[in-house]
Amino acid sequence: MAELIADASAEAVGYSSDECLKCNVCLTVCPVARVTDLFPGPKYVGPQAQRFRTGRAQPVQVPGIPFAPSGDVTVDYCSGCGLCTSACPAGVKIAEMNSQSRARMKAGKRPKLRDWGLGQTDLVGRVGVLFAPISNWALANRPIRAIIETTVGIHREAPFPKFGRRTLQSTWKRRQKRRGTVAVPGPDRAVVYFHGCSANYYEQHVADAAIEILKRNGFETIIPEQVCCGLPLISNGIYTEARQRAHKNLDVLAPYARQGYRIIGTSTSCTHTIKAEYREMLDIHADDATLVANATWDICEFLLDLNERGTLDTRFGRLDEDLPYHAPCQLRSHGIGLPAMELFALVPGLRAVDLDHDCCGIAGTYGMKKEKYPIGMAVGAPLFEKIKASGAPEAACDSETCRWQIEKATGTRTRHPIEILLAAYRAGDAAGGTKRGPLAGTGT
Amino acid sequence: MGESRARDVLVVGGGATGAGVLRDLARRGLRTLLVERGDYGTGTTGRYHGLLHSGGRYVARDALAARECIAENRILRRIAPASIEDTGGYFVATPDDPDDYVDAFQAACSAADVDCEEIPVGEAFRREPALNPGIRRVFKLPDGSVEPWQLIESNVADARAHGSDAWSYQRLVGLQRDGGRIVAATLRDERSGSLKRITPRFVVSCTGAWAGQVAALANVTVTMHAGKGTMLIYNQRMTDTVISRCHTPSDGDCMVPVHTVAILGTTEQRVEDPDGYEITRDEVAALVREGKKLFPNLGTMRLLRAYAGVRPLYQPPAEVTAAALKDGRMISRAHAVLDHAAMDGVENFVTIVGGKLTTFRRMAEDTVDMVCAKLGVTERCTTADEILPNQVPGKTYWLGHRLADHEAEGGGDAGLLCECEFVTRPMLDDFLDRHPGCSLDDARRGTRLGMGPCQGGFCTFRAAGVVAERAGHAGAADVAELADRAILGFLRERFKGTRPIAAGRQLQEQWMISGIYEGGLGVESLIERETPEASREVAGAQR
Amino acid sequence: MPSADVVVIGAGLAGLTAAIAAAESGARVHVLAKGHAATHWGPGGIDVAGIPAASTPRDGIHRLAGQPGHPYAFLGDDVGAALDWIRSHLAAGGVEYVGDLDTPHRLVPTSIGGTRRAAILPAGQAAALPPWAAGERLVICGIAGFKDFWPDAIAASLSRERIWEGGNRPASVTPVSVALPGLAARHNLNALELAHRFDDPAWRATAIEALARAIASVPGSGGRVALPAVLGIREHAAVLAALQQRLPAAPFEMPLVPPSVPGMRLYAALRAALIRAGGRVQVGEMIQRVEHDGRRVTAVVSAAAARTYTVRTGALVIATGGIAGGGLVAELHGRLREPLLGLPVEAPPADEWLSVDAFDPAGHPLEKAGIRTDAELRPVAADGASPFDNVRVAGSQLAGQRSVRDRCGDGVALTSGWRAARSLTAVPAGHTAESGSERP
Repeated sequence: MAELIADASAEAVGYSSDECLKCNVCLTVCPVARVTDLFPGPKYVGPQAQRFRTGRAQPVQVPGIPFAPSGDVTVDYCSGCGLCTSACPAGVKIAEMNSQSRARMKAGKRPKLRDWGLGQTDLVGRVGVLFAPISNWALANRPIRAIIETTVGIHREAPFPKFGRRTLQSTWKRRQKRRGTVAVPGPDRAVVYFHGCSANYYEQHVADAAIEILKRNGFETIIPEQVCCGLPLISNGIYTEARQRAHKNLDVLAPYARQGYRIIGTSTSCTHTIKAEYREMLDIHADDATLVANATWDICEFLLDLNERGTLDTRFGRLDEDLPYHAPCQLRSHGIGLPAMELFALVPGLRAVDLDHDCCGIAGTYGMKKEKYPIGMAVGAPLFEKIKASGAPEAACDSETCRWQIEKATGTRTRHPIEILLAAYRAGDAAGGTKRGPLAGTGT
Repeated sequence: MGESRARDVLVVGGGATGAGVLRDLARRGLRTLLVERGDYGTGTTGRYHGLLHSGGRYVARDALAARECIAENRILRRIAPASIEDTGGYFVATPDDPDDYVDAFQAACSAADVDCEEIPVGEAFRREPALNPGIRRVFKLPDGSVEPWQLIESNVADARAHGSDAWSYQRLVGLQRDGGRIVAATLRDERSGSLKRITPRFVVSCTGAWAGQVAALANVTVTMHAGKGTMLIYNQRMTDTVISRCHTPSDGDCMVPVHTVAILGTTEQRVEDPDGYEITRDEVAALVREGKKLFPNLGTMRLLRAYAGVRPLYQPPAEVTAAALKDGRMISRAHAVLDHAAMDGVENFVTIVGGKLTTFRRMAEDTVDMVCAKLGVTERCTTADEILPNQVPGKTYWLGHRLADHEAEGGGDAGLLCECEFVTRPMLDDFLDRHPGCSLDDARRGTRLGMGPCQGGFCTFRAAGVVAERAGHAGAADVAELADRAILGFLRERFKGTRPIAAGRQLQEQWMISGIYEGGLGVESLIERETPEASREVAGAQR
Repeated sequence: MPSADVVVIGAGLAGLTAAIAAAESGARVHVLAKGHAATHWGPGGIDVAGIPAASTPRDGIHRLAGQPGHPYAFLGDDVGAALDWIRSHLAAGGVEYVGDLDTPHRLVPTSIGGTRRAAILPAGQAAALPPWAAGERLVICGIAGFKDFWPDAIAASLSRERIWEGGNRPASVTPVSVALPGLAARHNLNALELAHRFDDPAWRATAIEALARAIASVPGSGGRVALPAVLGIREHAAVLAALQQRLPAAPFEMPLVPPSVPGMRLYAALRAALIRAGGRVQVGEMIQRVEHDGRRVTAVVSAAAARTYTVRTGALVIATGGIAGGGLVAELHGRLREPLLGLPVEAPPADEWLSVDAFDPAGHPLEKAGIRTDAELRPVAADGASPFDNVRVAGSQLAGQRSVRDRCGDGVALTSGWRAARSLTAVPAGHTAESGSERP
């Protein structure tokens, strides 16, 4: 009788508060409640406060019907890490519910410049790239950061990556122009790459690694026009604009998904947003949303799947190193285990260690905010200690904002797992003498 | 026995009707005392659906009742806004509801002066997406939900401000007659057992289903039947609007959002004893089946508990004709003021029976008009004119206010005794200050303690701790026994409502809570099985 | 898709003991659990057979084994071995237990002023066990502002002879409440917060000073002091040692309502033992279905974002926790079902599930409901036939026991978990799992 409504939908998220046993298990895993008195914990702001919210049956705004007034305040301190949802024995979708409540709390009010600004990743990215390296200098300049903190509310110490000299999109378009018109291979020989803002504006090397690894395994990469997945807008409760992003992306990706192409992402945050949050948070019910979600894969998830089918190129060379690995909370929400660790196990000599820490504290844009930065740093402190104590030259993590947080806090270079795998492939090439093409039989 | 005390009027029964009568009498200058055997609102008032009727339910069959409802609906919104949530109501035509009723509905509403506006079905679905998608027409009416205990307290407070009084835990155990007059009344204090004798000039019985028992104390026959109505409480408000089926009223055809829950009702079944009845699993299943016609996914929603109240059904004596019923002794078919002078030769006794919570003020007015006529008091009724105490004009109840108030002070769990319902220590202390000697169940009614998904699992022992702490500071000798009663009585009472619906998540909740109390907390060791108190506690919890 | 030799569903005492035992014999073990339930709700164990008639746990096992259908009928002889085995693992994880099967049952006081029968308790609770000397006092020490522990109510109740069944009890029970540093202005104060604070050596030192002063101000000397079960999570041993050293009375914890700090310590120790043995735990896995090929379960499928997550397996242990754990689901029309494989469930008819009296001395008939198994923990139908070859059931999922009322849940859980694993993994000693990267 009390079965959880199994479909992903915003309505199901709201109704899942019915499952709550008030047992407090969620509180035991919440990294934010652990470090600050400003946050009462997931049970309180989630299913408990939910009973005092009207319009529960309409979790996101419906045109023509104003949101009921909200009594919430402290839900804003939820970082959205999702550990509560995982630990709940009854299936309450706590983190998702909190995101909706935050959106409702903010609805009808003008978004704070800071919150809006953090959501404008494409705008910031394009402007930053256009004006790099000045933009990079400015964001590293202490007085300027102090001014930004005072006016906009982004903490002066918040980790921020460096803008690249050009966007991935422009690099890609140039490359395509040089190649001329080439027939696009079918879905058994090509995948669509959802690069996300980080690979587009800051970490083109991650995209390069992804493209090369995919090629080694028999897959060409298609990079269509795309916009930010919208997660920073969702996290800041700006749902209407987030929906615009979502629909734009779905319009581009759905035709590929219909033809059977898989959509690969190198950001566990972006891929989770597409897999789950378009439906659960933004309440987008179009068939395209389900179609695209089902076609979306995290890159490590994809490579591991190839391995299980026996078609992964496993000619990794030896990497003799101790590698601390942090599993981002946005990876745990995928519910796919830790594919990076499984892939690391295929690399001879690689001693990868899961640091087994709950959250690095950045939680997307959360830890960048002035009032939340100290909370994020307190949440991540044990993780940073472990990494520093390991003495390892580099660490690995699938999520970009986590990498920036860890690097800033520990001084340890932190890479995407596929960068490690690429290094292993190259070591394999070197050992074998020549760079080899894909194995026969790969590419399915 | 205690000393007697001269009063103008003794009102028996502290439900909404009694409280309304008390207020009206007080405002007309009569020194009145109300007595109630338990805590206020523990009879039918406290066990009803929570609905502020628009009258839409009655327009087709009983236009007079409908007119009364809408008139009182408007008055109560004006005089008691804080006790009312302005949910609005939809009367919906489901596939099971015949066209002829639906087609005639709007006209019937107009004829009874009940505001009724047909709205596009799409708008209703946008506002209430859980509704049955097969609904073909929707009418909007001014139904609402009402909080009865606050209403009663406000009436009593106003009466006190006008020089009258109310005593709870005083059971009427005797009415002494001298020929055609009642000359004295004996009250027993239910907590101490002591007796008191008072000598009112007039006695008004507002005891609903128990009116027969009260009248019998004066050797007067009033035949009452108890019509049990079962209701189901759902953990979530799957609707913020009162939803009623647009059809001839029947079981399980109305869902009312009341505070944090939604209540599906109701049924009708005659029972022998208004204090002892059972709710069966079959009844629950039947209600759920009907409820699904309004909300198809109802089976997946968390059923929190079942409870029942008894409707006071009056059976007039055979010799009273229909014409006589309409002639001044009966104001409407919905309620009846029984003039025992005319009917039974007792000149200073009336009984008010029937009616519904929505019309309590009107019932009181009719009753007090009769009493005043007999006492030669010429003051007019003013209860509709003035807003009740502790109410802000126009400011109706908002579900979110408890959350908002607590969050505005920084939120957090440190101050919450009952986390499910956001009940703070100051709220409980305030209630206990104003209701000395009450049970935790009384505190529940006043504060909503224990009314959430854990059904008292987490707050029971905390509240018991507060009771013990207070009792200790007051130098009470039986601190431990008070705490025992608080814990055991409250847990028993909550269990009573869980048992008929024991399934799904709520059974899991019950199992978890009993696992905690019987496991690490060792609750069994508190139970003393042979003492009279223990049996009374069990007996009390059966009500 | 990943594969395992044994998948265990449920990460409670039964599931984790089964997993550790299986991993130790060389199997690749995945534990999949939706979340945490009884471990994080309960008092932290270990209840073996705390029935009123039993002088010791061993005596209790014997008595319960005589009840028709009780799991101890076929598990009873193994409880000792399983207990010794698991407690060495728990000790390695920093959680020591005091008492064994031959320790006499005694009444220990509880945080609602009652008593419960116990013989085997975690070290932090164990000072409550020994008999009370003549004139020995008990101080109930609460923390100001902490709403899950009410010293006045507790002390008043424990001062009554009948709470101790007329037997050995403290000469006096006196409440005291202490304001601990930094708590007064907090908006949030719960057992977890306090436990985290006790883990911090600096705060701990000032707090213990405050506690010591407050207890010293209570008339009398020596005796014992009951504190709420918040005495640290990771640093519990250090906290306990510091309290034992500094306080004028012997301290012990009293378990509270969830979140159970003693339970969290138990869980952490079990999990650490499993990881040391090479097993893996994944929490947050909502199992959608279990695939089988005839009589063999082949894979466990759980819900993931936009797809399912499948683990192929050679065997399955179902340790899903009975009604409280969500392992048995009750439907309104009166059926009790096992949601993973639809295993036959032994249960009374619906109108007999619950007595009218919440505290019926005979208990509720539904308490004994569960999955009937053979002596090897294979689920069986009414005719005794087992529908699956490679499935075992452990813990409160098992029929025939009143795991709470008879205080046998922990004993049944750890013994059935241990036995289930041994029944599945008859792997020769010396074979070890291939070690790859460490992972949870």
